[in-house]
Formats: sequence, C-alpha cells, structure tokens
Amino acid sequence: MIRYLLRRLGYLIPTLALVALMVFFLTHLIPGDPAVVMMGPDATQEDLDSARQTLGLDQPLWRQFGLWMGSLLQGDFGVSIHTHRPVFQSIKERFPVTITLTTLSLLLSLLFSLPAGVLAAAYHNTKKDYLFMLGTILGVSVPGFWLGLMALLVFSVHLGLIPSTGFVPLWIDFWEGLRFMILPSLTLGVYMAAVVARMTRSSMLEVLRLEYVTHARAKGLGEWKVMTKHALKNAFAPTLTTIGLQYGMLLGGAVVTETVFSLPGLGKYLVTSIYMRDYPVVQGCILFIALVYVLINMVVDLLYSYFDPRIEHA
Amino acid sequence: MVLRKLRKNRLGQIGLAVIALNVLVALLAPVIATHDPLRIDVANPAAPPSAKSFFGTDEYGRDIFSRVIYGTRISLFVSLFSVLFATAVGVVLGAVAGYYGGWVDNLIMRVMDAVMSFPAILLAIAIMAFMGARLMNVVIALGCVYVPRFARIVRGSVLSVKQKEFVEASLALGNGDATIIFRHILPNCLAPLIVQATANLAYAILAESALSFLGLGTPPPAPSWGNILSEARDFMLDNVWMTVFPGLAITLAVLGFNLFGDALRDILDPRLN
Amino acid sequence: MEATLKIEELKTFFQTREGVAKAVNGVSLGIEPGMILGVVGESGCGKSVTAFSVLRLVPHPGRIVSGRVLFQGRDLLRLPEKEMRRIRGDRISMIFQEPMISLNPAFTVGDQLTEALRLHRRIGRAEARAKVIGMLRQVEIPAPEKRIDDYPHHLSGGMRQRAMIAEALLLNPDLLLADEPTTALDVTIQAQVVEIMCRLARERGTAIMFITHNLGLVAESADRVAVMYAGKIVEEGGVRDIFENARHPYTRGLMRSLPLPGRRSDGRSHKLYEMPGVVPSLFDLPPGCAFHPRCPEREAGCHRSEPPWRRIGPGHRVSCWKEGGDGTPAQG
Repeated sequence: MIRYLLRRLGYLIPTLALVALMVFFLTHLIPGDPAVVMMGPDATQEDLDSARQTLGLDQPLWRQFGLWMGSLLQGDFGVSIHTHRPVFQSIKERFPVTITLTTLSLLLSLLFSLPAGVLAAAYHNTKKDYLFMLGTILGVSVPGFWLGLMALLVFSVHLGLIPSTGFVPLWIDFWEGLRFMILPSLTLGVYMAAVVARMTRSSMLEVLRLEYVTHARAKGLGEWKVMTKHALKNAFAPTLTTIGLQYGMLLGGAVVTETVFSLPGLGKYLVTSIYMRDYPVVQGCILFIALVYVLINMVVDLLYSYFDPRIEHA
Repeated sequence: MVLRKLRKNRLGQIGLAVIALNVLVALLAPVIATHDPLRIDVANPAAPPSAKSFFGTDEYGRDIFSRVIYGTRISLFVSLFSVLFATAVGVVLGAVAGYYGGWVDNLIMRVMDAVMSFPAILLAIAIMAFMGARLMNVVIALGCVYVPRFARIVRGSVLSVKQKEFVEASLALGNGDATIIFRHILPNCLAPLIVQATANLAYAILAESALSFLGLGTPPPAPSWGNILSEARDFMLDNVWMTVFPGLAITLAVLGFNLFGDALRDILDPRLN
Repeated sequence: MEATLKIEELKTFFQTREGVAKAVNGVSLGIEPGMILGVVGESGCGKSVTAFSVLRLVPHPGRIVSGRVLFQGRDLLRLPEKEMRRIRGDRISMIFQEPMISLNPAFTVGDQLTEALRLHRRIGRAEARAKVIGMLRQVEIPAPEKRIDDYPHHLSGGMRQRAMIAEALLLNPDLLLADEPTTALDVTIQAQVVEIMCRLARERGTAIMFITHNLGLVAESADRVAVMYAGKIVEEGGVRDIFENARHPYTRGLMRSLPLPGRRSDGRSHKLYEMPGVVPSLFDLPPGCAFHPRCPEREAGCHRSEPPWRRIGPGHRVSCWKEGGDGTPAQG
C-alpha cells in the first residue's frame, strides 16, 4: 500500500512540470512581440528593453523556460502590468474566495447527489428512478451561468432574500458569509451533482449485482446495512474518480460563477485581467488553478486506495 | 439494427427530434427570423415581447427572437466543427500512439495527459485569452481541449486489436500500416467514438456559450446565445425576457444532444441498466 | 426428530422479456439433522436457485411462486422478513461459488468474518476476533492471526474458500447451503476443501446441502444424493444406491460420464462417454418428462405427462416412466 502511495506521489513532479510547460507554451501563442504585449502599447523603449531582459527574450526558448521555472519555484509569478504588485500576492488574496466557493459547491453537491444516486439504484426501474434520470439529464443540460442569472433574478431581485453581490469570508462570520455564498455555490454545484448522482447510481447498480452483496444478505444483514456498508464502499471508488475530475469543472465553472455573482475570487480576477491584457496575471492565475487541480486529483488517487484496496496490484 | 433499438427508446427519439429541430432552425434561419439580427433600432430599446417582436428587443433595439434563431447557427457550427477537429486529430494521434508504441506512444500520451490535467473550461479560456476572440479560434480552442478523450479511446482500441491474428494475417498479405489501421482497427472503436462525439457536441454548446458570456468567445455583434446573455446582464433586472429565452435555447439544444447521446450509449454500449 | 429441512413442491420462476424461465419446477427434498445431501446436475438445472429460494434471496426477476420450505417445522416462505434475517447467517448459512467475488474486496477478512458473529451474538470486538482466529485455524489456514487482517485479494483461492467455510460454520448453524464451493478452485485442492467442510460440519452436527456438478466429490462425502434436471429432481437416494444402482437414465448417463482410470479388459482405455443433446432451455421445457428428448430409453408415453415418483427401495425413489418398483408413489 505504501509503495502505491509513494509511486503516486512520484508522478506528481513530472505532471506539475508538464503543466508549467503547457502554460509557458500557451503564453507564447500570443501574436506579436511579447514585450510590446506585456508592457502595453504606451511603453517606452526603455520599458520594452527592460521587459525583454526580464523575460529573457533574447535567450533561446528553452532557456527562457528554465528561467521562468526557476522564478516560479521561488514563488515569483511575475508582476502585474496594471497594479505593479506581485501576481502571487494578488492570487493569495483571492484564492480563499474561490476555494470557499468550490468547496461549498462540492459539499452541497455531494450532499444531494450521493443519497440520490443510492436511492435511485435501490428503486431501480421504478417511477422514482425515471424521474431521477430526467432530473440528472436536465442538470447537465442547463448552462450554469444562466442558472445563476435566473437565480439572482428570483431570489435577489424579486424576493430580496439574498444579496446579489459581495462576499464575507465564512471564517469571519459564518452565517453572513453563507448568505452571500449559498446561491453561487448551489448554481455551480448543479452540474456536478447531476454527474455524480448518475455515476453513483450506475456504480451501485453494478455492485449490487455482485456476489458479495448477496453474501452479505445471506449473513442476515438488513438491506440498509448491505447498501451503505457493503455496496457503497465499493461503488464509491469509481464515483470518487469522477468527483476528482468534476472538481476541474468546479474550478472552471468558478470563473464564470464569480463573474455572474461578482465574487472577488481568482476566477473573476482572471477574466478581468484578460480584458485588460494583463498577461502576467493571466498566466499566473491559469498556472495556479491548474496546479490546484493536479493536487486535488492526486489526493483523489490516494483516497481511491482506501475504497478499493485491489488497486495496489494494478 | 441500431435504428430498430432506437425506436424503442422514447427519450432518444425526443433527443433526436430536438436536434433535428435545431438543425432545421439553423438552416432556415433567414426564413424563420422576423428581423435582421444585427439591425439596431434606436427607437425601440428594451421593448418587452409583443406580436411584432416575439422575444422583445435588447438594449440596442435588436430583435431578440431573430438573434436567438441565428444564434442556433453559431452554436451548431462551433460544436460540430470543434468535435470534428477533435475527432480527426484525436483519431490520428491515438492510432499512431497505439500502433507504433514505444517512445512515440509515450510522448503522445504524456502530451494528452498534460492537456487533460487542465480543467476544460480553463484551458479553453487560456487559449482564447492568448489567441484572441474570434470564431475560428473558439473552434480550435474547444477542439484542442477535447482531443485527448478521442485519442485515448482510439489508442485503447488499437492496443487491444493489435494483438489479434487477423492483423498479422493482413500484414503477411502485404498490406501497409495505414490500410490496417483504417480497415481493421478503426471500425472497432466506432461505437465509443460516436458516443463520445455526441457527448462532446453537448459540452461544446455549453462551452461556447460560457466563453461568449465571458466575452472570450464569439465576438459581438454576432448573436451567439452567450453574447445575448452577456449583453442582457446590465438590463435584466427590469427586462427578464432578455435572459430567459436565450438560456432556454441553450438548454434545449444541449438537452437534445444529451438525450440522444444517452440513448446511443445505452444501445451501443449496453450494460445491464 | 424433526427434519432440518423439508422442501415441498417448490416452484421459483423468472419473469423476463423472453418469457418465463421455470428454474425450479416442483422440487421436493428433505434433509435430516447432520445429514450431508449432495444435489447434483448440470449447469442451469436449478440447483443454485433452490438454495437461494431457501434463504429467500432469489435475485430479481425471480420469484418463489409456490411451495413450502419447512425449516425445523417452520415454513420459511411465510416468515416476516425480520425473522428471516435472524435465521440467515445464524441458523442457516451459505457459501458461494467464487470466493473472490463473494468476499467483499473492500474489507479485511477479519472485518467480514466477525460481522455475522457480532450481528447475531452481540459479543465484543476482541472476543469475536479471538473466535475468528480459532476458526481460521480449524480450517487449516496457516498463521491465522496474520491472515485475519489481510484483504481477500491477498489470499489464494483455496484459502479464501476456507475462510468462507470458517465464516459459515462460526455460528454453528443447523444447515449449511454450499453452492458449488469448489467449482472455481484448482482441481488439486478441491477434495481438500470439501474434506474440511464436511469434517467440521459433522463435528458441529450441521447438515449440508452440497450443490455441485462434480459427482466425484459427492461420492466421497455425501450421505444422500438428489439428482436434478431442468428444475426437477429426477432421482434421490442414499449415496451407494445412486452410484451402484442408478435407475434414472439421466443419472445413469451422469455415472457413465465419469472418466474411469485404468484400462478395459481388452487393454484399451475407456472411452469418454458424453450424453447426447443439450440441456433444454428453461423457457421452453419439453412436454411430459423433461429428459425424454435426450433419453436413450424413451418410450411412447414419455412425452405425454410428467412421470410420477416410484419407490425403488428404502429411501430411493425415481421419477421415470420406465420404473415399476412396487408402484407405490413415494411421499413428496
């Protein structure tokens, strides 16, 4: 088991390096002179020259990458053109908002989808199951941002229940914070809930056919125990993988959701920076979010072995 | 055989009907639309739905109904071509990786892994941010994001079939690599490819509208559904219709592909469901 | 003393889109306390479904349609589910064919074996663990105090099955349903596993319904044998009666199919006998005696109606038109 965990951790480094490489490659897609692009059209010749030096544009490409990686590892994600503040600083300030949003979405989504999926499997082929399938198909078809807009219209504007913009950190004032976060979290979580619910249901259905479930019943265990202890633990493993992948959807969706609800998170920061052509910020944000995603999936991989101990042989 | 099974699946039929409806609307847009979608009418801003203007007008007085109708074209165009792009590139990469193995396989799969280690929307946003918001760029961006899924499917298929004897027999007959790949191996992965493609068509519509909503997709004044919603944001408080109809259009189109895709999956890859 | 198990005219059918599969089509048998009954027949003849029916665990879309299943005098089919759960695992236990998939891969051996013990007996974790280790030792699993914390995939097939036997006998049940316990195992250890199972059961006075298609194993261990075909029992008797004096053409065919070692009197090796024809589809059973299309001894009347029971001798009965016996229809 330990060997498996170590092996998985070993994969982490090359993956992170590859992600950085990809971001580097993407940044160089920008048409035109990177120095001009970076410093903006009003830059003086001096600015351009110093930019060229900092960016190492006179060096061969691979050397540029090396330098860039070097500064990354020291925590230097560059400096914003707009504010002249270190990008990493700004990311650090805004990241908690995004993490709160995605984590809250995750929790709410799991809260609904896991039981729903289990029940749908239990009530397989009945009307409830059918409704469930319809519900989940609808859940993956509705655009999240539109759902957010409509939710804002109904709950904020017409019913006045919830404020439409603003943010209070949950750790400062839980209930006030929740008021601000509940709508964005719910709308962001809908897609994931639908996908996870479906995955749970089909996973449970597969497991319930297996012999160890019948065996558990033959021992005299009640149906509820059979489902939650024996079936679910095994069924959860593939669902866990899906959850990890869907977290990426949450991170991506957070970008849009933060824009709709004007939350001061990384996503909104990213979008605003794109409008303003603040490329160091854009690069930094994308890199940071991607790294978080890789780490999350790593955690998921590690957790997987708890639910399916056979994996160490794979 | 597939058609026969499809007849039994009512949801699949509904999905297919919805897709057909969307295609029809897209093709017949000039006929169905009541106004020119780009025509600004300063005299009539933010008018509510009426007999003259079914879905009302936006802030510039443009008829929303007509814009939504033409928006169908954009959504279908983007989704179709991005998926075609992804399939073409993915099939080639997957086939090459699976067939030749060794370092080629390793290299290609590492790149695929790297692409997949990004959240999809994020990668699309990144590509659009760095390449600039144009229609073709959206197609390319989404296509690139989806390539790994197709590559993986094809590679898996190639790996499993590669070992079988009829491949050796075919080689012995003197058939070239390409022939073997196309004639023997690819037909095996047709089913999962089709299922993946329909799923991706659905995602692509959602992705394009999200990108456009953020201002990173199809550039205005093109009536992409996402654009219409984005423009409506500042005015939606008093003008609910500006947001309701485009959103419903997106939902309906995606729903169609999802329903049909689900039905196809049940037929082509049946598990005791 | 009252019979441990008495099945009367049990019918379990499966309702599917293709029609009704009559998996168990009027089965009657009895098991006395401590007795080992071998239930033999080819795959698909309904043996396993019979066992599942006893515990009322027939998988969807199967349903027990009629009949009685008397366990120590009580009809299990009429018990409320709660009562049934008390009996499962405690008074009647079951072991399954493939130990890899009948042991939950997500839990350790110890977790699973102590589960039923703690459920039915309410004893503490430490005590349950000690009992399980003791039982694992009895089924001849080496180093049981280490194995108990292993996951099922760490053990070999034979060890897993022995662990299953340990679990099944841990609570000293009155009846053990063994559904093809050795079929998925290596031939070399099959006999060993059966020996352990039967020995431990006899020590505890546990009766066994030993379901298998391997006649050789049955010959070594069973007291009585019931031969099943297409959902019905066609012959039943003491193990010597069946092996030395089989009367039903199907049973005789099974006996002839046993490969014989050594050579014939003319020096050539024995030919492998294969019964002609295939097992009929349970959806579409032949009229009359279900075996008649394949029967080398069939007569004109065999297709008209199902043959009644005929008594061949004490405790030996057959369902065949050819048998006269003393003409008295046996009970059940």
